[in-house]
Amino acid sequence: MREREAMAGTTAPVVIVGAGHSGVAVAAGLRARGWEGGILLLDAENEAPYERPPLSKDLLKDGAPDGSAVLRKEKFYQDKRIDRLAGSTAESINRKGQTVLLSDGSRHAYHRLVIATGSRARPLTVPGAGLAGVQSLRTRDDALELKRMLVPGARIAIIGAGYIGLEVAAAAAARGCEVTVLEFQDRVMSRVTSVPVSRHFERLHERHGVRFVFGAAVTAIEGGGRAERVVTADGEVFRADVVLAGIGVLPNQELAADAGLDCRDGILVDGDCRTSDSAIYATGDVTRFTSPVDGASQRLECIQNAVAQADKVAAHITGHEAADPEIPWFWTVQHGVRLQTAGVRHPEDEVIVRGDPLTGRFSVVYLRDGRLSAVDTIAGLADFRPARKLIAQSALIEPILAADPGIPLADAILKDLDPTDPDPTDAAPAAARI
Amino acid sequence: MSNNKLTVVDREGSTHDLEWEPDQTLMEALRDNGLPVLASCGGTASCATCHVFLEKEVFDTLGERSEDELELLAEAEGYRECGSRLSCQLGFSRDLNGVTVTLAPEE
Repeated sequence: MREREAMAGTTAPVVIVGAGHSGVAVAAGLRARGWEGGILLLDAENEAPYERPPLSKDLLKDGAPDGSAVLRKEKFYQDKRIDRLAGSTAESINRKGQTVLLSDGSRHAYHRLVIATGSRARPLTVPGAGLAGVQSLRTRDDALELKRMLVPGARIAIIGAGYIGLEVAAAAAARGCEVTVLEFQDRVMSRVTSVPVSRHFERLHERHGVRFVFGAAVTAIEGGGRAERVVTADGEVFRADVVLAGIGVLPNQELAADAGLDCRDGILVDGDCRTSDSAIYATGDVTRFTSPVDGASQRLECIQNAVAQADKVAAHITGHEAADPEIPWFWTVQHGVRLQTAGVRHPEDEVIVRGDPLTGRFSVVYLRDGRLSAVDTIAGLADFRPARKLIAQSALIEPILAADPGIPLADAILKDLDPTDPDPTDAAPAAARI
Repeated sequence: MSNNKLTVVDREGSTHDLEWEPDQTLMEALRDNGLPVLASCGGTASCATCHVFLEKEVFDTLGERSEDELELLAEAEGYRECGSRLSCQLGFSRDLNGVTVTLAPEE
């Protein structure tokens, strides 16, 4: 015991704040990369860390079990000597002393601190937002609470037509609820996809009985103790037994901001996921960073980024090279139809529909200055992996070829047309042609 | 139910003997035993980072691959028509006791 204390005195553990996908991946990655010291994983929730994607999908289905798969079995944490402190959060950081104060009043020294506090559902701020029956969806408890309310015949008003709102709309419709989606923009998923994909999913939902109201600015939720009505700016009133707010997330950056770390709608991190304090890293949804692909400042809310950044942190702490990160990717499933996206589309990107949406299965290709920036695949994954590779290469794409689903995406590349192309394999023929 | 034994050939060609527990998918057994399987989608047949090769005789005993799985595999590095699987889609089965699994190359 004395020896252990002495050890602890010289080499403090890596302390990880947050046990979502990213925090758990940092812990696992540290062991995989040979970190022999202590690992303290602070988990705000009590039960073992779990998968979040199913919370808005399979978990809400009729007859589905009330759990979500765990990220790692309990035994994994024991075997890997990862001390998971359940139900504990960090209150403050003493950067000079390299200690962190926990909610239970205990103080822990850290060798390196990793902030993986994730994000929270953006709260509704209109009058009545606190009424019973108004729900957001972020944790397993949220999902179970929502599931209890999705009974046949219940009227559910969903505020926001993003991934979460639409996944819940699909689950609620399947359970026999009367579903109305209120969206401020003029189409669904406007932040993440283009008009043709929005229209496709709107039709899909409408075929399952979901009603959309676009241009709807919610001004109040009314009811006597429980939510009964949603009121919009133009005076319309929607009856509702359940109100789900799916209006985005906010980064849980307060711990970092209070400690004086640079934050701007997310904790700012460098290419190694270090914050403005070199002993403190941040990873996952809570971070803001410069995209290595296009130089844009971004915050990504996806598992791919949570896991890739975790690998960077584990590699950097142990003095290794991180694996090349994948191109960011995202997926949602609504009424059994999968929309999977590779890359991050910008609103001004050129949009090329690849295939016929009426078949139910198509892709949409996005070009920025003629180069592939993102691809949406709908109900088919054949283009997904080629897309990730071609986006990583910033491939120049011939739009007419890309629009033809009979031609593999990889064969829609424009070759040798750019004489400034630094790729030496292309240099000779390009020169020959000139 | 007792564990399955597995032999895994990693990307460097080294072999590892490990235990596959009944409540794990093959991907989880690989990942939780420290093999470099990224499994970045958490086992939903979305990413194909858990691609493995099985021997043809073993492969032939398994059920059909879903359309999603097949489309992801068909574009994967080293795809084998009779051998490639996403390990996240393979649940525990006594029939897979003692098999050899080879990790597919990383992309």
